[in-house]
Amino acid sequence: MNNKNQILGIYDDPDVVTHAVESLLNNGVKVKDVYSPFPLEHVWKYLKLKTRLPYATFIYGATGTISVFAFLYWTSVIDYPLTFGGKPHLSLSFVILMFVLTILSGVVLTLATFLIREKLYPGKVDPLPDPRSMDDKFVIVIQGDRTMDDSELKKINDLLKETGAVEVNLNNV
Amino acid sequence: MYNIKVRGVLIEGNKNYHDITRDITRPILDKKTPLWWWIVAVISSVMLAWGAWAVYNTMTVGIGSWGLNNSVSWGWAIINFVWWIGIGHAGTAFSIFLLVLHQRWRTSINRAAEAMTIFAVLQAGLFPLIHMGRLWDGFFVFPYPNTRGALWDNFNSPLFWDVMAISTYLTASFLFWYVGMMPDFATIRERTSSKIKKYIYNLLSFGWTGSARSWLRFETAALLMGGLTAPLVVSVHSIVATDFAAGVVPGWHSTIFPPFFVVGAIFSGFAMVLTMMILVRKIYKYEEYVTQRHLDAIARVLTFVSLIMGVAYISEIFIAWYSDSPYEMFTFFKNRATGEYAFEYWAMIIFNAIVPQLFWFKKIRQNVVIVFIISILINIGMWYERFVIVVTSLSKTWLPSTWHDYHPTTTEVAIYVGTIGFFILGILIFLRFLPMMAISELKGVLKETSIVTENTNDHE
Repeated sequence: MNNKNQILGIYDDPDVVTHAVESLLNNGVKVKDVYSPFPLEHVWKYLKLKTRLPYATFIYGATGTISVFAFLYWTSVIDYPLTFGGKPHLSLSFVILMFVLTILSGVVLTLATFLIREKLYPGKVDPLPDPRSMDDKFVIVIQGDRTMDDSELKKINDLLKETGAVEVNLNNV
Repeated sequence: MYNIKVRGVLIEGNKNYHDITRDITRPILDKKTPLWWWIVAVISSVMLAWGAWAVYNTMTVGIGSWGLNNSVSWGWAIINFVWWIGIGHAGTAFSIFLLVLHQRWRTSINRAAEAMTIFAVLQAGLFPLIHMGRLWDGFFVFPYPNTRGALWDNFNSPLFWDVMAISTYLTASFLFWYVGMMPDFATIRERTSSKIKKYIYNLLSFGWTGSARSWLRFETAALLMGGLTAPLVVSVHSIVATDFAAGVVPGWHSTIFPPFFVVGAIFSGFAMVLTMMILVRKIYKYEEYVTQRHLDAIARVLTFVSLIMGVAYISEIFIAWYSDSPYEMFTFFKNRATGEYAFEYWAMIIFNAIVPQLFWFKKIRQNVVIVFIISILINIGMWYERFVIVVTSLSKTWLPSTWHDYHPTTTEVAIYVGTIGFFILGILIFLRFLPMMAISELKGVLKETSIVTENTNDHE
């Protein structure tokens, strides 16, 4: 992440930062991102963030169910049908394996999708705008712009201070 | 939130966010490993080495080195398998059942419970593998195109379901556990001053940043994975129970087995969590995170589950009498209750159904020493339960000519001791190198449940 041209508003309370995001957006300031030590649900709402992960999981699960059934049907009915105890080749007890492997495919592929979408991988180095956001601070990142003049910067600065920021950092704006 | 009133303050000591980071990362960032850690590590390594010898003995000599015979073909190996699987149910029960039930007090315990799950299920998996006798042919249980005449597994066998259910459970629990730790690894990464630790924890954290979008996807993924894994808690032990219930053996062939096993698993899992958390909070001085109320809540759950266990034992006896089957009557009234296995049977009843009822008394729930002792007794009682089920039924089945006693050999005992050694060693490594409580989750519940501020009212 490029640390340049960013305005950081640093807060120390989850509720204050949530309200701050709301009022910044109401005042027409573009909030780029919010870094927090734990999830802030209302911030997602204000930033209009959405995820389609549940749909993906549904598709993975359904694929798992169908492919396991297809495999069991092929092995037990088509490829090598074994008759024992007069039991049918196509058995109701397939349900159990379908159930278990649906869960397996759902869990593994959901995680894989999450990691791919977030571009997370072992050893990735992604510097934080402010490392304290991993501890006890909540950081609002506003993308700076070279065309911004001093009055605009001052407005953002004042807004951040007004909404309760304990610290405002301007990085190379 | 309603649970503020029910459970009171979750994190005591008027902590702020930084205090949580400092307290939970302290054992990891400490340069010096405490002395007790080394002592326990050496003891558990010796136990593990003895177990490794026994596994080597089993591999080279064969299953003949165990005390099994034609009648009692399942002995300590299966008892210990079911015992470990039962303990391995705690993590998911804690993480997910209590998540679904909005029980926020799980936050300081779930991580350790999940770690316990991983190590316990690994141990459980060992027993069926070595029970095959030829460990190197273990991959035969998986369905793959083979040269044995394209013969496939029997997909209708509970034993095959077991293989799939337990591998799935292990995979899903591990992934869920690991994903939950990623933000905490990032916290450690930002906090440590050692370059090596920074590198390692950055590697482990997958470069986690904690931006709003990441958190949204993280929470969604965790909820989906958790929601999918939750039914496994019920299915894994139901399938293990079917291993028994599908066998036409007196005392096994019963429809009560799946729910009975699931409840028993949660019972032993919670008891083991209690055992471990009492020690952890004492040693690491985490009394403010795992409060008296946490122990109280677990004790209450145990009281209730113990009642279910009692009902299950009574209904087994009742059905044996009501069925009027002489074999069932013999198994329960002669073989178990009054026969040569009476000690194990009554130990099971007393430790599982009667002793935990002491938790009805507030004085006992508040006495950590007694709670600790009872949690150990439950662990022992649950081991006896599996012994009673496996050995008493098999040793005296339909034909008196097949009756046979069963006594474990040193090899079997050593394997069991070895698995306990592995478990303790795993927990030690977890306590030293991994965040033992979910730092981000603790911070997430801190304000709502533990700090009273002027903003409390307008926060949902």
